Amino acid sequence: MTTDKIIPAAMALMLSATVLSAQDTIRIASPNKVTVLDPIVSAAGGNIEAYGQLYARLLLKGPDGALQPGLAESWEVSEDGLTYTFELRDAKFSDGSAITAEDAAFSLTRVSKDEKSAYPAGFAPIKEVSAVDEDTVQITLEHASAPMLSNLEIFNAGIVSKDDVDERGEEGAFASDPVTSGPYMVKEWKPNDRITLTANPHYWREGLPKIQNVELIEVSDDNARATMAMAGEIDVNRYVPWAQVEEVNNTDGVSVALEPSTMLYLVLPNHDKAPFDNLTVRKAAAMALDREAITNAVTLGKAEVANSTFSNALNFHDANLQPPAYDPAAARKLLEDEGLVGTEITMMITPTFEQLATLLKAQWDAVGFKTTVERVDAGLWWSNMAKGEYQVTVNWYYNETEDPDLAVRWALCDTCGSQSYYTNYHNEEVNKLTDEALRERDEAKRAELYSKIQQITLDELAQIPLYYAPFSIAYADRVKGLTLTPALQWTLEDAELTPE
Amino acid sequence: MFVIGVALVLIWGLIAAAAPLLATHDPYAIDFAAILKAPGAEHWFGTDNVGRDTYSRVVYGARLALYIGLLGVVAPLVIGMTIGLVAGYFGGWVDTVAMRLVDITVPFPFFVLVLSIVAVLGPGIENYFIALALVGWVGYARLARAEALVLRQSEFVLAARTMGFSHGYILLRHVLPNSLSPIVVYLMTDVTLVILFGAALGFLGMGVSPPAAEWGVMIAEGQTYISTAWWISFFPGLAMVLIGVGFALIGDGLARMLRIER
Amino acid sequence: MNTLRFIAFRLLQAIPVLLGVSIITFILMAATPGDPVRLLVGDRASPETIALVRDRYGLDDPILFQYFTYVKNLIVGDLGASLRYRVPVSQLIAQHYPVTLFLVIYTIVLTLPPVVFLAVWSAKRQNGPADQVIRMLGVLGLAVPVFWLALLFARFFGVTLGWFPVSGFGETVPDHFMHLFLPALSTAIWVVPILVRTLRSALLDEMNRDYVLTGHSKGLGERQIFRTHVFPNSVLPTLNLFAVIVAYLLGGSVIVETVYAVPGMGKLMVDSILARDYFVVQGATLVFALTTILVMLAVDLLSALIDPRVAP
Repeated sequence: MTTDKIIPAAMALMLSATVLSAQDTIRIASPNKVTVLDPIVSAAGGNIEAYGQLYARLLLKGPDGALQPGLAESWEVSEDGLTYTFELRDAKFSDGSAITAEDAAFSLTRVSKDEKSAYPAGFAPIKEVSAVDEDTVQITLEHASAPMLSNLEIFNAGIVSKDDVDERGEEGAFASDPVTSGPYMVKEWKPNDRITLTANPHYWREGLPKIQNVELIEVSDDNARATMAMAGEIDVNRYVPWAQVEEVNNTDGVSVALEPSTMLYLVLPNHDKAPFDNLTVRKAAAMALDREAITNAVTLGKAEVANSTFSNALNFHDANLQPPAYDPAAARKLLEDEGLVGTEITMMITPTFEQLATLLKAQWDAVGFKTTVERVDAGLWWSNMAKGEYQVTVNWYYNETEDPDLAVRWALCDTCGSQSYYTNYHNEEVNKLTDEALRERDEAKRAELYSKIQQITLDELAQIPLYYAPFSIAYADRVKGLTLTPALQWTLEDAELTPE
Repeated sequence: MFVIGVALVLIWGLIAAAAPLLATHDPYAIDFAAILKAPGAEHWFGTDNVGRDTYSRVVYGARLALYIGLLGVVAPLVIGMTIGLVAGYFGGWVDTVAMRLVDITVPFPFFVLVLSIVAVLGPGIENYFIALALVGWVGYARLARAEALVLRQSEFVLAARTMGFSHGYILLRHVLPNSLSPIVVYLMTDVTLVILFGAALGFLGMGVSPPAAEWGVMIAEGQTYISTAWWISFFPGLAMVLIGVGFALIGDGLARMLRIER
Repeated sequence: MNTLRFIAFRLLQAIPVLLGVSIITFILMAATPGDPVRLLVGDRASPETIALVRDRYGLDDPILFQYFTYVKNLIVGDLGASLRYRVPVSQLIAQHYPVTLFLVIYTIVLTLPPVVFLAVWSAKRQNGPADQVIRMLGVLGLAVPVFWLALLFARFFGVTLGWFPVSGFGETVPDHFMHLFLPALSTAIWVVPILVRTLRSALLDEMNRDYVLTGHSKGLGERQIFRTHVFPNSVLPTLNLFAVIVAYLLGGSVIVETVYAVPGMGKLMVDSILARDYFVVQGATLVFALTTILVMLAVDLLSALIDPRVAP
């Protein structure tokens, strides 16, 4: 090409590049922050959402939620359920190097054995992960684990490059531009501001992702995000407050989707402290609450009242159970019988729960409790929870899989590392059933075991379940095919932006 | 103008005092049936997201607002005037130490301090006062010092010294009363600012614990409903503006009167 | 030469001040209950991981030891690393500081001309209708809560009218001006009244002074007296107030930064306090303090330029 053809050509290319980038970048605003890029180090919301885009796993969840081949083309489970063998497909990392069984073994060993691993619970039964050959990886378990396959799909089971970690060290490899196996890689990371991802040219799924660039922007103020969505400055708003759902939905160019989640909002009483160490008091507290009215008031009808200590999106959720019904008179009688009318309780909350706290306080005070609301920030909240320095609080939690094992370990088992979501609820039988249900591979039997767990924990009011909340996410009209799965993963690789 | 200011503040004072008589509902009473109702006959200013009556909360909120504004300036005033007058009057190393104290305090970002204190001590108005006491005294100190510097050369002070009166006596009896004018003007604006900063804390989630009826928190909570239930933020916002305007006008008026005097 | 010595002397004096600030911040952070590690590793982390991370960052070491380690690193220019992001504090600050600086300067630029104009105009027409209106508006601007106003502006000018972006910082310099206009405006609205009142008050004081009358009697035009004497003399107290306000703007930027999702220091500071990201808070506070000291120095130098009597 002659020089006077090169320049206009270059300009045309540049111009088209800029036009393309505006069209081909999706901007997602979220209150959650991305803080570290090493998938085993953190289990905080913002990081979870990012890991799924950066690191592929052995298995993939299809649009219907069923497990499909991911980096593993096929797999076999031994008769006794103790050996899982995976055949890896031909795939490459973002730097062009091959993804081998060694990488898989390395990554999975890290997440299950490394002391830095923030959330190894799902991988506890793993005895060893080894690379049998170039593309076969074998996992041996200490005991059977029914949900092992679905656990291998969660965010921290992402496959990272062993070579890269060897070369740059753990800190260096994940500092700002990790070698990725997922649909995207990091283009630029501005901590506390935003992370820009760009498509991984070597992603194993041909032709995907369709959207070239993703901007995950951190915006902590609810109203700022709402304003940005209305002004068209973002394409997706990760969290729309219930009160704004209608309004945002009615704005031109944006619509709100209420997507199924495993989020359960609940009252957490401290079983190690008076007065909630007393079952009668817990019963009174539960009966004092008109949970339907509360749910409607807080979520404006967008959430379903909870009936069990399990989320209704979990397998083996028992729809036949019910917590104590709303009966303030009976609640008061219970307190009177215990001689505890006028008992003072302090409800510890974080700023997001002020409305709920006001409602709970009003209803508890109406049956004879004397409630003080203590508002602390999140850091202090966790501190107090871990130390057991509280009487009652409210919060929510979710589960990465539809299998309830991890949820039970987190919230209902006190020997599983988190003291029953720090409520210090202690029930030997529940702990036993948890382990039993994990190892039981027969579906029907598992259902029975989990039903029993729900029954017991509900009868004993380990917690007071309030409601099941869907995700409330706002999407610009040009975004197609994007949802947030219950495992907190954006289906970005399957999504696309339609030109306007 | 000054008169308008005094009138406004007095009216709010009356409202605060007579809150139980003026309110139409219990400001803390929730009502599932009356959530997010627009202003009307039953609820003059509408209701909020748990069914509480906005009008009654605004009325009761006057108490907290005045409490925060008037008490919040006391500590800074006392601390600031003491340090400033002493520094300006005595000069020398006392002055140097005082100025260094000022130097350390001024660059300290106010919000950092308040947030940290609230995080350490817990939420609550008293802790906000502590933070104010630690940082807010600087303005008063500077003014007091400037006045003291001038006043210590004044005739009656020199005369008093010759007559053998102690420094302490002179400070209290002569310097202090004569230095008050610019300080009082500043005080009035400060009250407004203290109330506003208190509201800003509510916005950042560091305000008083629920379910207190505090205007700042009400405005912040109401922001989510700005297009759907505008009244939740609007009325406490209006109240805050009116009270702020009242104090500011008093300050303005006083400044004018003092200038005329001089 | 004298000026240089003055600057050097002031900078030297800044060191104990910065030390004092860092000690106070450190004490506050150390006294703040709440565990930063949990916020980093997430809700479901195991106690073992938490203990490990705490150990790695020396969070369980004795306080004095931690402080001395910190100062030691500070001297060589190492501000430590963020607990959350595992990146150097200096990197985070370098990323966020220019944004806030831009915002503050932009606010000042939007503030000064109206302040001068309004103060002069209303002082000259003292107690006239224009004066009354300006003062009333000023009082209103002062009393409206910034965060409320900011949201209203964003919704109205940004969404409804679509004139300005409502968030972020933008890529290029012209972008910055657009993105930061509403935040700067929201702040200017309450800063202007404060400065106008001071300047106007000072102007009125000066205008009644003897030397003005003397000047008149000597035949000097009113305009000339105003320009060469009255105005410069009035500027000084206002300049001092201005310095304090800039100090406040730096820290108070958090509100507009939150409402407009601007990635600046204020937001970094608040987020870090809430997340107990100690080193970031330390570093940010020091940077704020240093900026304030430099601004005060600049104001003092400027004052000396305007009125040689107050020269050092």
